[in-house]
Amino acid sequence: MLLLNNLEFKRSEKTIFENISFSANSGKIILLKGSNGSGKTTLIKTIINILEPTNGEVFWMGEKIKKNIFNFYKNTTFIMDKTTSAANLTIMENISFWKNLSLSKIKKDEVIRLLNILELTKYQNTKVMYLSMGEIKKLELTRLIIEKKKLWILDEPYNNLDSSSIEIISQTFADHADKKGIILLASHYEPNIKDLEIFNLN
Amino acid sequence: MQLINKIIIFFVKEFKISIKNLSDLFTNIVFFFLSIFIFIFSIGPDKQVLSTFGIGILWALLLLSSTLSLKKYYHDDFNNGSLIIMHMGGLSYEFIAILKIISHFIFVQLPFLITIPIASLFVNLPYSKIILLLISFFIGSLVLSCLGSIAASMNLLNKRNFTLSSLIVMVFSIPVIIFSVGLAQSQENILSLLNILFAILLIFISISPWTSAVCIRLALANS
Repeated sequence: MLLLNNLEFKRSEKTIFENISFSANSGKIILLKGSNGSGKTTLIKTIINILEPTNGEVFWMGEKIKKNIFNFYKNTTFIMDKTTSAANLTIMENISFWKNLSLSKIKKDEVIRLLNILELTKYQNTKVMYLSMGEIKKLELTRLIIEKKKLWILDEPYNNLDSSSIEIISQTFADHADKKGIILLASHYEPNIKDLEIFNLN
Repeated sequence: MQLINKIIIFFVKEFKISIKNLSDLFTNIVFFFLSIFIFIFSIGPDKQVLSTFGIGILWALLLLSSTLSLKKYYHDDFNNGSLIIMHMGGLSYEFIAILKIISHFIFVQLPFLITIPIASLFVNLPYSKIILLLISFFIGSLVLSCLGSIAASMNLLNKRNFTLSSLIVMVFSIPVIIFSVGLAQSQENILSLLNILFAILLIFISISPWTSAVCIRLALANS
């Protein structure tokens, strides 16, 4: 479904990565591994079309993504290493913005259950700026469930999380893969998920 | 239909954020009034002098106060990645820029429009001139919003010297100032000056979303 063909990226004559080719079909979890500065984030930004690759193409469903970029975005949830929640709004206001932006049909009790699992229920009406880093990251990860997309692309999803949350997230990944979803994650941490495909960038 | 929903969602979010940041807007308005007072104190209490200089003073100060809020324009959305999320939600950068310009106009510039009648009391403007000033500010502030969009998006990666964006706005707002003040002070050829102001507005509306989108793309690629 997602196919990277000979991807190369150069920044001012310096090659960040080259000859990257892999494909990700339904039900696969791919971990991009590499040391600091090996180009994990750059690769992800190239896949998501924020950066233009110097060479090579990215395909989604057999079509070049640049041809129909919004069709690709319609099937993708992208979790950055930054947190996209607005600091001035409460958790619920942020969630309703994401929900409506992605035209998701998730029900209210589903959202409540999700917040319950992540232990965020008591902060429902708290502004995001008063939450801790871990809680903001967990809030960010709820977008995976809220947006209900097929392809998940994550950059360092395990940052700032405690061990129980890491387990919940890993379980969520496994479930999504069972439901024929595709997951692409970049991380130093190697999570405990079976059928994990590791792609080494070094 | 989906697009309209997304537009509504965007404005609901902007409205909520600006309600929670009301103190910022209030500070800008206080800045505006305080600078008027400083002008009045430095010129002296001569009513005749004040009513001749009044419109120029008000317009210059409105311009300065509106450059104060430039830092808020795209910075928050850029720094926390909301711009990418909105883009991936199906809005192109150009469209996001248009929406941002409209929301800046509504939530930052229009409150100034309400304070202008009060401010013109202090500089002893006659009633007929107040209405002309309001009309010229209504058009001129939209131009300032467009300019602000360009300046703020150009400075997204600029972390140190933010005065630069104010400079861009001030340089390009010179024609707006000339014709707005001309409109408010003229007696006969109001319509032709209004047309020129509209022309300036149309030029900037047609330029700024695309310029801003290019700048946002560049900033995202280099961040």
